[in-house]
Amino acid sequence: MTTVTDNSSLPHYTARSMAIHSLSAFAGEALALGLATGPVCLASCGPVVLPWMLVQPRGLRTHSTQLSLFLAARLAGYLLFAAAVWTAGSAIPHAWVGRSWLLGGTQLLLAGALFVYAAGFPHPRCARSASAAPLVHIGDSPHPRRSGAATLGFLTGINLCPPFLVAGVRAALLATLPSALIYFAFFFIGTSVWFAPFLSLSVVRRTPSLVTVARMVAVLLACWYGVSGALILMEKVVYG
Amino acid sequence: MRASILAILAYTAAGLTLAAAALTPFLLIGAFSAGVAHAGLHIDPAYSGGTVARILARPGYNITVYQPVRPHLLQRVDPFVQVAFSPTGSLPARVSDEVDLDGDGQPDVRISFRVPGDPHARPQGEVVALNDRYRSFSMPGRYSFSQLLVRSGDAIVVRVPLNKAR
Amino acid sequence: MASRSSAVLHPRVFRSVGRSLLLTLPMALWSLLMFTPSLRQSRRDVTIGSAIVIAFMTTLFYLMVRTGNTYRWRRCFFVALGFLFPIGFISALIAVRGTMSIPIERMVSGDTPFCFMVTPMLVIPAAFTRTIIFPGSILPTSSNPHSIAVMIGLWLAMTLVLGKAWCSYGCFFGGIEEGFAAVRKRAKIRRTVDKFAPRLRLIPWALLIVVVALSAALMEPIYCMWLCPFKTVTEYPAVHSVETAIQMGIFIVLFAGLVVVLPYLTKKRTQCAFFCPFGAFQSIFNKINPFEIRIDREKCVDCTLCQTTCPTMALSKESIREGKTLMNCMKCGACVDSCNKDAAVWHLKGTRVGLHPERARLLFLYGAWAMATMFGGSILANSLATMIRFLPKIHSMLLK
Ligand code: SF4
Ligand code: SF4
Repeated sequence: MTTVTDNSSLPHYTARSMAIHSLSAFAGEALALGLATGPVCLASCGPVVLPWMLVQPRGLRTHSTQLSLFLAARLAGYLLFAAAVWTAGSAIPHAWVGRSWLLGGTQLLLAGALFVYAAGFPHPRCARSASAAPLVHIGDSPHPRRSGAATLGFLTGINLCPPFLVAGVRAALLATLPSALIYFAFFFIGTSVWFAPFLSLSVVRRTPSLVTVARMVAVLLACWYGVSGALILMEKVVYG
Repeated sequence: MRASILAILAYTAAGLTLAAAALTPFLLIGAFSAGVAHAGLHIDPAYSGGTVARILARPGYNITVYQPVRPHLLQRVDPFVQVAFSPTGSLPARVSDEVDLDGDGQPDVRISFRVPGDPHARPQGEVVALNDRYRSFSMPGRYSFSQLLVRSGDAIVVRVPLNKAR
Repeated sequence: MASRSSAVLHPRVFRSVGRSLLLTLPMALWSLLMFTPSLRQSRRDVTIGSAIVIAFMTTLFYLMVRTGNTYRWRRCFFVALGFLFPIGFISALIAVRGTMSIPIERMVSGDTPFCFMVTPMLVIPAAFTRTIIFPGSILPTSSNPHSIAVMIGLWLAMTLVLGKAWCSYGCFFGGIEEGFAAVRKRAKIRRTVDKFAPRLRLIPWALLIVVVALSAALMEPIYCMWLCPFKTVTEYPAVHSVETAIQMGIFIVLFAGLVVVLPYLTKKRTQCAFFCPFGAFQSIFNKINPFEIRIDREKCVDCTLCQTTCPTMALSKESIREGKTLMNCMKCGACVDSCNKDAAVWHLKGTRVGLHPERARLLFLYGAWAMATMFGGSILANSLATMIRFLPKIHSMLLK
């Protein structure tokens, strides 16, 4: 066997460029998932955040401080969750034959959850779970309550709403803990973009169609997970 | 006053739109296309096969071995290595080669196929993995972006799936 | 003839022949300019096809100018485009590869012609990873002249001129629905569509978010692989597995339902109004286009005739009250032509509503028709040439 050309003279991926490539692909994917499910997050956590922000003293500054706090605490919740699911996910061996069954099954369950979720607006479980906490009792504070913003953020951050679970399943299957954390950080950025309109509450008030679009997004994502879950299982049955 | 400034701006915008229309076939399409062409973009390796790693010479033909393509997490394509036998005109009627895919000096797969005379017909053959890093398959079978034995341009392209369990 | 000083040319008020010809002259010259290379070709089919298109496009523009009516004449062009495009495209496919399905080897070689519908799905992967998630080639090749750079360049330039009007002067798919919507005199289903329109109108936006995000996440053009109704009349991945069979089924059902049956029953472009994510994407560019349709509140009597006529449901009671169309207005002109009170008008943003609507219409039409002639016109000419080429073959087959 004769090698006439070796790879040193041809374009190829260096280890670094591969790493950058996969990191950016990865970040893009998490960001996209966040952006896609953002309306669902917004519509689900909106009923908690919106009334709460409405009772806060007016003013862009107060609102932005409160919102930043809320988002920071939400990020903390996300990262905690990422660490937990990754630890659980890494316990499943990669070569395990049941992995496809698990993946297909989980996707079908997620599809079901998203359907129920889309149908259940505007009483998402996020609203109930978060508002049950005594610290965020809505409407009791004439002054900005920082602890309220933080608690609310953290609770919405770790609440197991379906888009969040979807990201969780992805993170659980990642190779390393830092990648799971980065994944969730970008997922967080994607979803947070949708919270920006809260700064000008009038915009949110004027666009009820946002909630409808969010509900439709949830249904469409449910269809997607349903079909792809079913296909994974079908392929498993047909091709083994 | 404000209304007339707005009207001037409006007619300027309308004029610019018309100018853009007039320039579209002669300038704009070319300029925008050149912009896209020079943006440093590349086709996803899952479709294109990735970049060339090395070329192995055989009597009368070459075997081009590509870098392994490892699609990222959510992509539904399995990891694979592309190998191309070219030019098709110089290939023997039946090819059977042991190919070193990772450049360690040891053959990794045996690729055998018949080159059909009809350029539209698909080649038939098989890939046998010589170690557990690669997966064997035979064609005709299940075609996917990570498992192929087809004619593409002036080459017979083979995509050997990597074993995911590793 | 009614007084010419009236701001709006009522559909029944004609411009004089001389003036109309004069106003048509620039467009006639433009058509000639666009097709000079084809006219010079030695191939008879190409020359005949181009000559027919020059005459067709110029005549339609003349009629728009003379009658003051936009929609009817634009529709002639658009429906012709919608029905002739697949004929030209499919026969070219059959001639080159013998089948409408695109085999995996051609995808691997980068030979899939680029379709503008993919554009929004490319944005995130290209921005983050510089990767194009489409099995085409970036630069044109001999086996694939419809490369990604060329097609995106074309789309960008046309979008700059047309905005969302792309959907009534550029898109070669919209014409198919418009054709089926034109068959019946009256809509068979109206109330249900009106009732659900406010929600249905939002589906393209939800689909846009989902396909853009999922495409970025999975690094494949999700819409093209799973949802595009027009795969049925263009090309589709070869059916070789359960998955591809399901995809093919979805394409056919969506095409039959949204492009044929529902437009026929509702007289609406249901696919464009309630499904197409590219249409939603295109609506964003309406914001940077200087032309729009407005409702002159001083003349409007809230009869909602325009709302009933609008093929994409881009008017609602609320929007009429506000004197505006919705974001998905594609400037087809149906509402303007149907309004008896001359209240629905063409408008140049920044000027007073109803001041010079005919001037705004003409300014818009020069740009839009120039694009229609350049892009749609060449598709028409190409398809006609193909048909002329095949005519003797078909004739001899029939004789046999
Ligand atoms: S909405 Fe979509 S299919 Fe309809 S005309 Fe616009 S781009 Fe074409
Ligand atoms: S609002 Fe008028 S111009 Fe716009 S799409 Fe509807 S009918 Fe056509």
